Amino acid sequence: MADEEDEAGFDEEVEDGCGGVDVGHGKRKRLFSKELRCMMYGFGDDQNPYTESVDILEDLVIEFITEMTHKAMSIGRQGRVQVEDIVFLIRKDPRKFARVKDLLTMNEELKRARKAFDEANYGS
Amino acid sequence: MADPARIKPEGTPERAASASEEDPKPEETEDVAATAKPEDENKEPSSQDQPKQELKAELAAGEDEEEGTSGQPASKRLKVEPEKKKEKRHKVDEDEIQKMQVLVSSFSEEQLNRYEMYRRSAFPKAAIKRLIQSITGSSVSQNVVIAMSGISKVFAGEIVEEALDVCEKWGDTPPLQPKHMREAVRRLKSRDQIPNSKHKNILFH
Repeated sequence: MADEEDEAGFDEEVEDGCGGVDVGHGKRKRLFSKELRCMMYGFGDDQNPYTESVDILEDLVIEFITEMTHKAMSIGRQGRVQVEDIVFLIRKDPRKFARVKDLLTMNEELKRARKAFDEANYGS
Repeated sequence: MADPARIKPEGTPERAASASEEDPKPEETEDVAATAKPEDENKEPSSQDQPKQELKAELAAGEDEEEGTSGQPASKRLKVEPEKKKEKRHKVDEDEIQKMQVLVSSFSEEQLNRYEMYRRSAFPKAAIKRLIQSITGSSVSQNVVIAMSGISKVFAGEIVEEALDVCEKWGDTPPLQPKHMREAVRRLKSRDQIPNSKHKNILFH
């Protein structure tokens, strides 16, 4: 377990409000254990991935989200996170950029479809 | 007028170059982690689409050259291209959907399970929203949560893919071990795919 704690990337675990004392990494409650297991299986890992690997991946994802949020807060409208900021930050990465565009387009379509459906029901 | 006889030989070498450029785009939206097949299947039809697009681009460019300046012909060209691009994108989407259907229909039970997990797994929106709001201190819109959970999933996928590469290269078998994950992170870091704003570069020391 000592090896994992040496990773420089997992520093943010220290500031989880446990009285300022370094109680070791991973003391924060695991947020995405179940979902990450399914995800890892979907991406090609074994049906039962190792818990340590899931933990590492969760730490990485949380760090990624934290970094993106901080960067998004510093560009565009300061102190707020907006979709345009995220899209701007992701512009160099083709995969993520395409994925965000797809998701937002699909969301719009779904909203439109739901609205049309509700209006149709209301009319009849 | 652009000479059709002139266009063809110029079109073919470009076709080979842009066929390889065009492919990553439709593939990456599907994030083919588990299967490598679609890659090969996508290449063939899109290279057939290429000559059509190349011809149109060449014709437009030919007209432009004739006029000499980018006044009127450029605006004409701008009007014509988006329609054709939309058509082509629509056709590519339909092709891709059809091919995906053929592929999925030929999956084994285990592959179907994995594919289902791949499509259905997602981060819980509430937890992501809570996390982002705890960092910003203010509320965020729903779209932000959607976008963030989407790219987080892609990010997780990139790491797992790289870790599987490492695992195979080292002669190990899944399940993935922490050492594979760490080596994957190291590799992705060297490719700048993992954001890290903790290290400050001191230019002149």
